[in-house]
Amino acid sequence: MFNETYPITAGVLHDQRRSLTVWGSAMAGITVMYVSIFPVMGGLDIEALVSSFPDALVEALGYNEIGTASGYISSTVFGLLAPIILAVFSIGVGSRLIAGTEEDGTLELELASPTSRRAIYVQRLGALWADIVLLVAVVSAVTWAMVVGLSLDVAFMNLVAASIGLGLLVLGFGTIALAVGAATGRRPVAIGVAAAITVVGFMFDAIGPTIDAGWMMAVSPFSWYMDNNPLSQGFDVVGTAMLAVLPLAVGAVGLIGYERRDLMV
Amino acid sequence: MTSVVIRAEALVKDYGSVRALRGVDLEVEHGEIFGFIGPNGAGKSTTIRLLLDLLRPTSGEVEVLGQNPAAGGPELRSRIGYLPGELAMSGNRTAREHLEYMVRLRGGSGANRLEPLAERFGVELDKQFRGLSKGNKQKVGVVQAFMHSPALLILDEPTSGLDPLLQREFLDLLLEAREAGATVFMSSHVLREVEEVAGRVAIIRSGEIVDVENVRVLRNRAGQHVEFKFGEVVSQEDFAGLSGLTDLEVTGHSLSAVLRGSPDGLLKAAARHEVVSWSASNLDLEELFMDFYRMPDET
Repeated sequence: MFNETYPITAGVLHDQRRSLTVWGSAMAGITVMYVSIFPVMGGLDIEALVSSFPDALVEALGYNEIGTASGYISSTVFGLLAPIILAVFSIGVGSRLIAGTEEDGTLELELASPTSRRAIYVQRLGALWADIVLLVAVVSAVTWAMVVGLSLDVAFMNLVAASIGLGLLVLGFGTIALAVGAATGRRPVAIGVAAAITVVGFMFDAIGPTIDAGWMMAVSPFSWYMDNNPLSQGFDVVGTAMLAVLPLAVGAVGLIGYERRDLMV
Repeated sequence: MTSVVIRAEALVKDYGSVRALRGVDLEVEHGEIFGFIGPNGAGKSTTIRLLLDLLRPTSGEVEVLGQNPAAGGPELRSRIGYLPGELAMSGNRTAREHLEYMVRLRGGSGANRLEPLAERFGVELDKQFRGLSKGNKQKVGVVQAFMHSPALLILDEPTSGLDPLLQREFLDLLLEAREAGATVFMSSHVLREVEEVAGRVAIIRSGEIVDVENVRVLRNRAGQHVEFKFGEVVSQEDFAGLSGLTDLEVTGHSLSAVLRGSPDGLLKAAARHEVVSWSASNLDLEELFMDFYRMPDET
């Protein structure tokens, strides 16, 4: 079955079972902690506080709608903590799955086995994507449980839209790490490139609106994801499409590099 | 079935500006155990990686089981068993998980030999790989290389880390594989590792094959260290000029020398005196490397 058809994906997921449990629990804990604070903050009149901030700061922090449940969850869990923490996870795992295993030699027997480089690449990428789907599903499910439990005003379909955006965003960063690692065979290069793109994308999204630099938002994956506030506005077709194209395009380029290169296991 | 299992012609491999292989020619025939000997860094592993399509040649031709490694792809590799020189496996899996994983990657091939081979080598199947000693890890490597009964075994320094008893077991396994029709290509930096089973041996030095010989011819060339003790004082002149005799030292009642080729002349010369004791020990072939192959570069 799955084990026989996709032995490499199954093997990676099996190896990760403990670390995925830890990451999943941590994401669930963070989500519970942040969302549960919202009703308490309602009494503090947070909007009055935020309105005393300079407009540029409010814009940069994305606190425009901090007084509503969807705005608050956007500003904290979906717009900040989950993307950053999951990007760290995704880049770490993405860079390890091919470049890391090539560097420490554990990929050698797999490469010498009757498996094509393409199958190794695609199945390892598949494992990375499965990891991210799983962790984003944890964040989304816990958020929805909190929304229902605390009777917060967040539409289910909007949560679905934000979850898909979050998943694709993080998947993009992880895929960059895996693809660069596969094309170069060097884990530090993979981490460096993917982390730089993540940080620059995050800064462009924060700074772009305050200095009227539309091009910064046009190229930032964070802007594709958050510009139209999916938690309050629902699906943004263009942004979602951009987020989906990024991992597919980068993934394809990485595979071409991987199939042509000398492997130094 | 082709009779030549591995063929390399003018095989060149550059790493950036460093030329690792400088035109390697090789022919390994079906059913032979072929030794591939050279000092560390001579190009043994580079050659092996070209055979497995981990590396692509800079120029020249390479064929394995009649196919170019890149063109043969997974189908070709399904007929190869490979034991890496430095076996690295994820420490979190048990030996059994690793071996079952290899079976799945090979589409189920070798599943029936996993248990018997593991038992024969005393592999601790249910221990985590990281907890195994170097020798026990190597056993896992041996089992995965042999279990799917491949047509070609490519073994990089195979007996490193195995204790003498298991080296014996390993050599038996090699001979059984050959008996069953497999071809073996094994590398080592010490000839001792291959001389017991190998037929022909190629010597590689600085990316070039400097010699391909029958192992017995090499052994002969390496020579023996001989010592005699006599019941009387003998003189250097009694043994001077004997063919194949070098490093002759005669002092009082004893003689020591290095003998290459036939011992006939030396024995007859010695027999003219009363021989109290004598010994002849094979010179290690490392010493052959030392004096025969470590010639200065002509280039």
